Amino acid sequence: MPLVLKGVMQSPVTPLKEDFSPDLETFERLLDFHVRTGATAISWPHHKGESLNLTIPERKAFAEVAVKVVAGRVPVSIHVSALSLRDSMDLARHAESIGADAIIAITPYFWNPTPEAIYEYFVKLGTTIDLPLIAYNSPSYLEGVELTGELTKRLIERLPNFVGMKEASFNSEKYLEIARVALPLRPTFAMISGVEFLAPAIPMGGAGSYSSAGAICPRLCIELYEACAKGESVKARELQFKLALLWDLFRDQYPSSLKGGMVLMGRPVGPTRPPLPTASKERIAYIGEQLQALGIMDTEPHGW
Amino acid sequence: MVTPMFTPGFVHTPVTPFAADETIDWSSFGRLLDFHIANGAQALALPMHVAESVSLTDAEQREVVFFALEKARGKIPVIAHVSDAGTTIAADRAAHAERAGAAAIVITTPYYWTPPADMLLEHFHQIGASVRIPVFLWHAPDEMRGSKITTDLVLKLISRLPNFVGVVDSSNDWQFQINVLSNAQRARPAFQLACGTEYFASAGANGATGFFSALAGVAPVLTRRLYEICRKEDYFEARPLQTHLAALHRIVKSGGFAGLKSALRAMERDCGIPRPPMEPLDASREQGFLGELRRFPPLGAEPRGW
Repeated sequence: MPLVLKGVMQSPVTPLKEDFSPDLETFERLLDFHVRTGATAISWPHHKGESLNLTIPERKAFAEVAVKVVAGRVPVSIHVSALSLRDSMDLARHAESIGADAIIAITPYFWNPTPEAIYEYFVKLGTTIDLPLIAYNSPSYLEGVELTGELTKRLIERLPNFVGMKEASFNSEKYLEIARVALPLRPTFAMISGVEFLAPAIPMGGAGSYSSAGAICPRLCIELYEACAKGESVKARELQFKLALLWDLFRDQYPSSLKGGMVLMGRPVGPTRPPLPTASKERIAYIGEQLQALGIMDTEPHGW
Repeated sequence: MVTPMFTPGFVHTPVTPFAADETIDWSSFGRLLDFHIANGAQALALPMHVAESVSLTDAEQREVVFFALEKARGKIPVIAHVSDAGTTIAADRAAHAERAGAAAIVITTPYYWTPPADMLLEHFHQIGASVRIPVFLWHAPDEMRGSKITTDLVLKLISRLPNFVGVVDSSNDWQFQINVLSNAQRARPAFQLACGTEYFASAGANGATGFFSALAGVAPVLTRRLYEICRKEDYFEARPLQTHLAALHRIVKSGGFAGLKSALRAMERDCGIPRPPMEPLDASREQGFLGELRRFPPLGAEPRGW
């Protein structure tokens, strides 16, 4: 079955026990919740899933659970980026061995690699495995290290398994330059927005988003996507503004506040590993007031 | 004071033509303004950075605004860009623009200085309070690397300045556009967002209603069609036009700051070269640049000459 990446895709948080150890049982429930509430794909562990705070063996254990629990209902992508590129290669090979549907990888951390080094990295990753490869572009978080239109073009020409991009620049010029170059070369190339910035992205060739707020308000996220896909621009903007308020609420010390909000929605997933803070009782109370004011508590599913 | 209403719509941002001796070429400037007025501009904004405002003396900036007001009188409104390093200099220029008949002013953060947040607010407040016409803030973080315009600053200025009506955004940043507009419209429902770059489609989807375009001088047909389709909120239909305009923008950008004037020359609307310290394209680079423009099919539908 060809891999289709479209609509509201979920990148789950990583449940942890009170002692910060992995909570695989709750992870199973969370995956099932996302699939039942309309996720068109699962992708784990993005930064929202505290990827860089997990050991490589922990990441492999969670990845195995994801593939097993989702069980082919929707595609599962594994985010393989690690500080060391050797670990990234190891995670990519592991993802392939356990039956994941794709891998996703960001440009290298910490270093300031040249465009040529970025190209070589993705070529190495994409030729190490046979799985589809999704690149992850986040120039604002990685100090200008980015996938440009030119790099994207070269990678599409070089890698038949380069199928899409998580585009998290949130910038019209950067987004459109990649779409302008990529889509004529590979019409099925999936431009996937980081977070729910769907209103400005879908009309410009976007396929969907990796959701930020999907663990809190999956109905609202899907309603926004559908309004965008139908070209209902005014409705889409109203929903986008509402989700932007939620993003403002959750982006602070992401994903601590998101995990705090999940407690209120009856889906507790435990603390956040240091150096990120765990949402305090006061912070959770504030989030509760905001969710109430936005009508989320009354319109979105509660519990698992 | 009641908040004045002014919706700028499709705004052309003309360059400033210079003669070989680096003085303003008023004859070419007159022809250029006539061209913009006859080719779809609903308003003019000048002298913006593409018009080398920072390379003009204070007297020249006032003259440029006055000259444009004379040309546009009875036809379309003129928005005066009045930014400067010093607050009182910019405020005086704003007051002059209002007396001369400008419909609105636009201001960005101060040049060179990076004042603390309360002084940045004071800077904008003093300039805005020096006039009664509408005031737009211009968010151009790539060019103005010091101080930043934030949603918090916008909300504070709304509470202090009745004639503060909108933000012109040149960041292309979806987070900024959505955040500033959704919050500002709760405080001032008629608050406007205008797109300050050639990427109007996504900005329109985020709620922008105005479009400040420098490439309107090169491709007035394409930019106007994009504006009109976006104002109908049909962003899927806008995509091919936006893609063409993005491609044109990349070609012009590849020529550096001088690229816009070289592109105007290619369209047979010679406005000279930039004033120092900005440099013209050297002959060999300009040949390659012009070749790329000639191979760009959408320009075939655009007017040549004045």
